[in-house]
Amino acid sequence: MVIVQEADFDAAALAAGLRERAGPTVGGIVTFVGYVRDYAPDTPTETLFLEHYPGMCERELEDIAATARARWNLAGTVIAHRVGALPRNAQIVFVAAASAHRGDAFRGCEYIIDALKTRAPFWKRETLAGGRSFWVEQRQSDLDRAGSWADAPASKESTP
Amino acid sequence: MSGATINLLYFARVAELTGKRSEPWPLQGESTGAQLLAELGERYPQLQPSARLKLAINQTHAKPGAAIRPGDEVAVFEPVTGG
Repeated sequence: MVIVQEADFDAAALAAGLRERAGPTVGGIVTFVGYVRDYAPDTPTETLFLEHYPGMCERELEDIAATARARWNLAGTVIAHRVGALPRNAQIVFVAAASAHRGDAFRGCEYIIDALKTRAPFWKRETLAGGRSFWVEQRQSDLDRAGSWADAPASKESTP
Repeated sequence: MSGATINLLYFARVAELTGKRSEPWPLQGESTGAQLLAELGERYPQLQPSARLKLAINQTHAKPGAAIRPGDEVAVFEPVTGG
């Protein structure tokens, strides 16, 4: 399930819905919630504005989820991402991966958020408490993390 | 208006720098992402085309060498920062 919306999301309800859909073989669900935080070390963040590319966003997120499901034994996934103006401490993103076994759920969830950060067409514009506003720069550490999945072993491939 | 065009979309800082969200762009036959970025740099020097600018062709990430054909939807943006 992929959701891109301005409205806030209920993380517990999304996880419960995933558990319902994924069925009785699910042994665990790993979830990740991202929040608006202070990005600059010295000045508090007032708001983030999330711009996105409608259409491509949903396609990329569906593709990322499909890649995760092909690579690990996942019974289902949820990706929810907010757009528009988000105040400090607001929820931005939710990822959940359900599996019979925790290893696949942990890796699937982590892969999805790592891939999302470097592939999904969202852009953050940050406004600081003092009023200064700027587009957030992509971080090299995010690129490195996403790149590290390219040669990591996958459970489906390594399991006899 | 005569000749083939593509539909260009600009996002985030690129939309700010060009002052537009989209525009039709003339295309002589088949082009490439790199050629389009060079043309955009001439029209909008403020973009200073570099490795920073990314392209998506028909809503799929594309490398500079990718072919661009008449009627394509081509988006130009800086590296994404979601999540």
